Amino acid sequence: MARYIVRRLMTMLLTMVIVSMLVFAIVEIAPGNVARNILGAYATPEQEASMSMQLGLTRPVAIRYISWLCGSDWQASPEINLPLTETVSKQGLVEKSQQWWAIKPNGDLAQWEMKDGQMYAFIRQPDGTTLEVLDDNVWKVDASGQEYFWGVDTGNRAAKWIRGQGGVEYQLDYSGWVQKNDAPAEYIPLNKGLLRGEAGMSLRYNTPVADVIQRRILNSVILASLAMLFSIPIAVALGLLAGLNEGKLVDRLISMGGLITAGSPDFATGILLIMVFALWLKLLPGAAVFTSENAVLKDPHLLILPVLTASLVEIGYILRITRSSVVEVMNSAYVRTAILKGLSYQQVVMRHVLRNAMMAPITVIMLHINWFIGGLVVVESVFGYPGLGNFILNAALYKDVYSIEAGAMVLIVLAVGTQLVADVIYSLINPRIRYS
Amino acid sequence: MSTAQSTTNQVPSSLARSLSGLWSGLKELAELIWSSPTAVIGLTIVLAWVFVAIFAPVISAHTPLEQDYKNVNKGPSPTHILGTDQLGRDVWARVAFGARTILSLGPISVFVAFLVGLALGLPAGYYRGWVDEVVMRVLDSLMAFPTILLYMIIISALGASPINVVIAIAIGGAPGIARLVRALTMDIRTREYVAAAKLRGDNDLIIMLREILPNCRGPLIVDFLLRIGYAAFYIGTLGFLGLGLPPPTPDWGGMVQEGHSRMTANIWPVLSATLAIVTLVIGLNLFADGVREESMRYQ
Repeated sequence: MARYIVRRLMTMLLTMVIVSMLVFAIVEIAPGNVARNILGAYATPEQEASMSMQLGLTRPVAIRYISWLCGSDWQASPEINLPLTETVSKQGLVEKSQQWWAIKPNGDLAQWEMKDGQMYAFIRQPDGTTLEVLDDNVWKVDASGQEYFWGVDTGNRAAKWIRGQGGVEYQLDYSGWVQKNDAPAEYIPLNKGLLRGEAGMSLRYNTPVADVIQRRILNSVILASLAMLFSIPIAVALGLLAGLNEGKLVDRLISMGGLITAGSPDFATGILLIMVFALWLKLLPGAAVFTSENAVLKDPHLLILPVLTASLVEIGYILRITRSSVVEVMNSAYVRTAILKGLSYQQVVMRHVLRNAMMAPITVIMLHINWFIGGLVVVESVFGYPGLGNFILNAALYKDVYSIEAGAMVLIVLAVGTQLVADVIYSLINPRIRYS
Repeated sequence: MSTAQSTTNQVPSSLARSLSGLWSGLKELAELIWSSPTAVIGLTIVLAWVFVAIFAPVISAHTPLEQDYKNVNKGPSPTHILGTDQLGRDVWARVAFGARTILSLGPISVFVAFLVGLALGLPAGYYRGWVDEVVMRVLDSLMAFPTILLYMIIISALGASPINVVIAIAIGGAPGIARLVRALTMDIRTREYVAAAKLRGDNDLIIMLREILPNCRGPLIVDFLLRIGYAAFYIGTLGFLGLGLPPPTPDWGGMVQEGHSRMTANIWPVLSATLAIVTLVIGLNLFADGVREESMRYQ
């Protein structure tokens, strides 16, 4: 058993490595370059080139992939020849600002900027402000006699300045384009990487992706667990009822209902439920009423329709599987024997049918997890529910690459992890399974 | 002389044989469908939509793009039998032309997915070894994605267009098809007729395409039918998520997306498009399910 779990974990790890490569490849290497997506159609080629360089998009793909996954501070640190550190300061209630600094030998945290060919250092003060000092004896000389300096700039990047050859840097500000002279010649954007809990900055909100995502994950988990808790008992009961009455009217009705709810696209189910409950009966609120990320638990009645929508699809699916499994078991030799040896119908159902008939639905529910999670993404978007799926969808619509990547990875880890847990539970329930 | 004669005799006879083979195959399929009430109901629904799609210009008085500025967001009326949308476009015309969109993109994307799936699954199952190992690892990883997530990131990267929808659905569907083909191939390659073909000196490609592929066709046809239902499901969903076809194109999912925030003012575009997609997807599912159950009974 332990060996089985370890082996599953190893395959899962390998799968996740390939998945991360696929996600990265689809999002970043696909045609339509990232800088273009951020800047929109009206940027000049110079602005686009400058932006690509600042975002580190001109670096080799393999290095970008590793930086995305494991961070880039350890790559930049040897160039700068100083250890690097990150500070997080709260601005307002939620918005955090992250700053990268080089730690000078005397313990000062420093960032640099070149002005008129001279380096100025910004030394971080205990109160969080910075003190600007002239720091012009940092230059080193390379083989061709050029003076250069690797340091941390004010935009969370390791940067290489070349004395006398300041480039032009374009930055997109709230007010528009800002042009800066004396810019570095090379950049390494600093981040800790996905595996170390830092998924980059959201290009849309300009806040760390990781901060936004946590709340969203919780909301999605709430929705998913409520839907599962609600749908499984109902579906199993209905499936049992239909299966025990094979061919009768009850069976026909339940099966037909299951087919319709399981087959309909989630968004269509959601829309129809909104029409019935919100527009016609005026019992429940309809779409897009979650005013904030935290509203989920404050107004539980807002949850009713999303949970119902996510459940209906699942109920239809599980009940059909349960029904066919019950039918199969009812026709088996051991059930016939049990009836013939004089057990009451109830005893046969409870003792023989139920347990054996439950194996198939459990297996299929497990295989169905990805489908269920996909359905959640759609349900969230129908109701404007502030969950992970909706987050990824908005990121995808706005081409917010780091958000897409992080959201996708988290969602897949959740999916694969749930699958693993389900596998283990299944092997505990079903003693007939072999670990090979 | 004698060789010329034998070739002229051979060509029509082999043509006739393959035609009669096709004919008997179709007859078999028709009988199979006919013996399952579920499949018949499903097929009827689907054919009704196919009819609507083919005759869309005839059965709708308006084009899907023409705007009636005097009648915006109106309910049903004699001129617009299902009303108009927020731009004054005829809802029935958009539904009818939208049927064309979904009924053409669905089968095309499944077909492309099958080509990819066959190209990966046949060699994986036939050669086994490291080819199999590598192909299956990558495919397993693709299958770890919740399907809709995969579609979302592919379309976000490539942009929303009919071709990209086809590409996304093909990439999403290919792993499942490849696994099925691989499993069937692994079974069939141990058969005597494959050994005979090897002995005859046929090369691997010929064996895969002429011996193995035709003998997989039963399960593959059923899978194809099922997947057309999924494809319609996902094309509708992508449209709803705003990742389907770009706006002016009549597309059911897109109609729901455009209209659902205005549902209190005008329910008709949303209701029509929602019911259209639900009936089509259920029709396709009933049809595929019926065929599958019936063909399993045969075995």
